[in-house]
Amino acid sequence: MTATQALSAGGTLAFTEEHEELRSVVRRFLADRSPETEVRRLMETIEGYDPVTWTMMAERLGLQGLLIPAEYGGASAGFVELQIVCDEMGRALLCAPFLASAVLATSTLLAFDNPRAHETYLPRLADGSLIATLAMTEAAGSWSGTDLTTCAVAVVDGDGDRFELTGDKVFVLDGMVAQLLLVVARTDSGLGVFAVDADAPGVAREPMSTLDATRKQARVSLQNVPGTLIGVDDTSSGPLSAALDRGAAALAAEQAGGARRTLEMAVEYAKVREQFGRPIGSYQAIKHKCADMLLEVESSTSAAYAAGWAIDEHSSEAGVLASLAKAYCSEAYYHCAAENIQIHGGIGFTWEYPAQLYFKRARSSEALLGSPRHHRELLAQRLGI
Amino acid sequence: MTAPVKDAGVDRSRLSEHEFAGELKSFLGARHPGRPPRGTAENLAFLRAWQATLADEGWIAPAWPRRWGGMDLPVALQAVYHREMTLARTPVPPTNFVGIVGPTILTNGTDAQRERYLRPMLRADELWCQGFSEPEAGSDLAALRTRAVLDNEVYRITGRKIWTSKAAIADFMLLLARTGSLESRSRGITCMILDMNAPGVAVRPLRDITGGRYFAEVSFDDVEVPVGNRIGDHDDGWRSARVTLGHERSTSLTAAAVRYQRVVRDLIELARARNQLDDEVVRQELARLITGARLLELNGARVLAQVLHGQTPGPVSSVSRLQHGLFEQRLHEVALDLLGADAMLDARDPRLAQDGKWVRGFLRTRASTIGAGTAEMQRNTIAEKVLGLPADREER
Repeated sequence: MTATQALSAGGTLAFTEEHEELRSVVRRFLADRSPETEVRRLMETIEGYDPVTWTMMAERLGLQGLLIPAEYGGASAGFVELQIVCDEMGRALLCAPFLASAVLATSTLLAFDNPRAHETYLPRLADGSLIATLAMTEAAGSWSGTDLTTCAVAVVDGDGDRFELTGDKVFVLDGMVAQLLLVVARTDSGLGVFAVDADAPGVAREPMSTLDATRKQARVSLQNVPGTLIGVDDTSSGPLSAALDRGAAALAAEQAGGARRTLEMAVEYAKVREQFGRPIGSYQAIKHKCADMLLEVESSTSAAYAAGWAIDEHSSEAGVLASLAKAYCSEAYYHCAAENIQIHGGIGFTWEYPAQLYFKRARSSEALLGSPRHHRELLAQRLGI
Repeated sequence: MTAPVKDAGVDRSRLSEHEFAGELKSFLGARHPGRPPRGTAENLAFLRAWQATLADEGWIAPAWPRRWGGMDLPVALQAVYHREMTLARTPVPPTNFVGIVGPTILTNGTDAQRERYLRPMLRADELWCQGFSEPEAGSDLAALRTRAVLDNEVYRITGRKIWTSKAAIADFMLLLARTGSLESRSRGITCMILDMNAPGVAVRPLRDITGGRYFAEVSFDDVEVPVGNRIGDHDDGWRSARVTLGHERSTSLTAAAVRYQRVVRDLIELARARNQLDDEVVRQELARLITGARLLELNGARVLAQVLHGQTPGPVSSVSRLQHGLFEQRLHEVALDLLGADAMLDARDPRLAQDGKWVRGFLRTRASTIGAGTAEMQRNTIAEKVLGLPADREER
């Protein structure tokens, strides 16, 4: 039975009361801690997040530990719960290293069966005291893993998991604030993931100037930097790709949340803005744009959560649906964010109005973790085409 | 002659999904009629016989009450029904149970009308058409002009309907006619059952873009309709005929989504047969269509899940039909692209052989964004009813 057949038959895709409760708690929290003024303040900083808010997210709501098993201090929550949180964060444009640390780095650690690494890092990731990120992409800007040049060399006399890493990483999410870098590098036996202390000698970090100032990225260069092996992935469907699929599914939910917010902004404005003596929302040209946006927003929600559901069910379709969701939600969010500006007209083009923030987040997220084209190709391959 | 109304056999409404699917599969294993023949007359006879079999064995009208020959299935089983029927590639019966005619009589007809018409409709002993659109009343249906004048015990009908599907083979028409002034718009329309064999009815087939004669223009020259054939009240037909049954539209759209998964697989095979699967542009297009078909299914599954959890279907239910229409068109546009120079051929050219279906579908699906409400009207409805944007027309 495919995931969607099961969905049609069992109707699992309806959100439960617990889901709705989680959503409203997170929405209230973000309305309080991440209003637009705060987003604009953090955009201008190098760190790009507020440590107090970050701590509250962990201590009050346990968000950073959602994916982490209870034995390591996490919530052992489902992936759909995580997506609900990402959905809300996308809506509020939260500036925080959540995707980097609580999704990508955490999923990467969990994907490898390495109890020592789990014991070392997961409890501190769960309580928010440790910020980690995945350092994968290099100059080619790809997430396929086939073109990486960063090398890991085993340390002679080491105990087998100590390596030295050399290479240049770019587009490292929240690379300036992460204390732990999970670096993907070539080894003799395939791609390895290594734990690297961000303050270790030989690590040089510098912020990149990003189109989307609400999400920070960094260049990280490594020169003979000590790293501890987390695990090796010599396949194209192993732990690393499973972790990236989770990142894609979470980001898709974030995109769905952002897209829904842009539709709401557009509709709110179209109801009150008058031209030629009537609200612009009474014109079909505007109505049709909004109707098309709704179609995309609803489909984005379906696609994103179907991927999350498949992950929770350990369905063989999880990868297919993650790629499908990332490709679809990327384009849908971009289109909605662009239409939102168009419907607002001149004011949508201003710096002061938040439409630009969503537009930049949308375009940037489209490229993050692989473009729609990349994911459509993955989708085809995964279906054996 | 029509069979008498009888209690339609077994009650399957309380089976588990698994049991239900098993029974349906074994029924289809024994009784699946195979592919319909091609000739028009043979095709129709074949499909009518198939529908009668379904009705007699209690495998028809999943959402209808059992009292009137339906299966009275809960929503979850309706979905299983539509899915299994689609997966088994069963021929589509000539009567559209999801459409407006049956639900209108079921909901707003008198018991006498239900007794008289529903059973023969279920068995396809009598076929129906729907007399709504007119030359001057397409999207703006409330502007319809076909006149019904009350004259003692009959309505006298004069006027013209167009785009009437199956008019040439129908025994009856569910008619919307003007009983008030033109200015009364939707408040002056009455719904009634018209005998297509009555004196004064003339049917002129319309040839459509595919060359087929599926639609017709129907004209009425002083046709008498007994007052007893009226459905609902005088002048209240607008409301009477805007009935759909439960959530059957949602569940049947889910079935359509299942069918598209298969059609997309056929399209992938077309690309394979034509050695185009290594072409990156083709791979991207196919991935987009796979996505589109899956989204139809996922959106349908979400509507169904909401219904099953006792929630009102949210906005997602309102976009499904629009999405289906746009998807069908895109699917066939890509198919024609894969056909290359063969896209210059008519479906009947021997060089196309089985691939003629893509050309026929390409033409047929132009109607997907026109029939039963244009895409533009659907977008208006979504914008106003779901998003709450202000109306720019006088009435809804």
